[in-house]
Amino acid sequence: MSLGWSLTEVAAHLLHHEEREVVLGDLSEAHESTWHGLLDVLGLVTRRQLQLWQNWRPWLSGFGLALPSSFLLMGASVGVSTAYQSLNGPRDIDQHLLFICQVLLLAAWSWSGGFVVGKLSRLTLWASVLLCLTPCLFCMVRFRIPSLSRASLLLFLLPAVVGALQGVRRIQISLKAGFALAVSVTALMVFMCSSGRLWFVNWSLIWPVWYIVSTAPHASREVERS
Amino acid sequence: MLGEFEYVLITTAAGLGGQAYGAAIREQIARTTGRKCSLGALYTTIDRLETKGLLKTWMGDATPQRGGRAKRMIRVTAKGVQAAKDFYDAVTRVSRGASWVVNQTGGSAG
Repeated sequence: MSLGWSLTEVAAHLLHHEEREVVLGDLSEAHESTWHGLLDVLGLVTRRQLQLWQNWRPWLSGFGLALPSSFLLMGASVGVSTAYQSLNGPRDIDQHLLFICQVLLLAAWSWSGGFVVGKLSRLTLWASVLLCLTPCLFCMVRFRIPSLSRASLLLFLLPAVVGALQGVRRIQISLKAGFALAVSVTALMVFMCSSGRLWFVNWSLIWPVWYIVSTAPHASREVERS
Repeated sequence: MLGEFEYVLITTAAGLGGQAYGAAIREQIARTTGRKCSLGALYTTIDRLETKGLLKTWMGDATPQRGGRAKRMIRVTAKGVQAAKDFYDAVTRVSRGASWVVNQTGGSAG
């Protein structure tokens, strides 16, 4: 298999599964040069991407969620790392409780954000990933807390990636589960706010869990239909 | 009214009948018009025409010459035939009297 054909197959992954099969089949049948085939596929991918960006979903997913949330979640990640360092032994129950709340909130914010990004715009996920990782690289380069590792900025990434993969696969969240998650996150945020440990801007991280709730009834109807 | 490429695509698909699918249409268009048709232009136009109800598409069989990959088969609907006929009639009407049009007696006006 030539390099050109391999690149063509990679580029075709930005198309829907069915269209990818059809296009690669057409190219095999036409016996075109692989580089012409690659240009053809890139042309189709570009047209498809432009069509996708005419919709509000990729914009909301990339600029409304991935980009701003990455800054806030990096802040929350550093908050969790700092809280972990300042734990004063097993007897300080209040601090342990606050630390657990911080960890749970970070996991819930990251997972729900990733899930909504994946669900909102599967085929433009690459753009959302780019918009999320660019601030991460920027902050890692400028990170200046000697007692913490740079990796502490990225604690949110694992749950966010899991959420994004589940969102891409359109995993169905039932209304009950979604509602329970949203209420729990809201309660945790109110608790953290009352103890002065929640930056008010972090309230903007709450909308993905409620978005999951608002779309859950539709999702269950889709399951019934299928 | 249809666009020029939409008309070419519908007419080519209608001419190919049961053998109308992406690669065959591209080859036929290149042969009859002398212009290569890109995959992007072909499939975005097919989608647009299908949305308008002028074409119907479905996934066909996979063949060894396609590396075991399926074809997207295409059929022109009755609405598509009517749209192509309307386009042809309009082009014929608008072309009457043009110097390059062969008149009814068989000679060129120019």
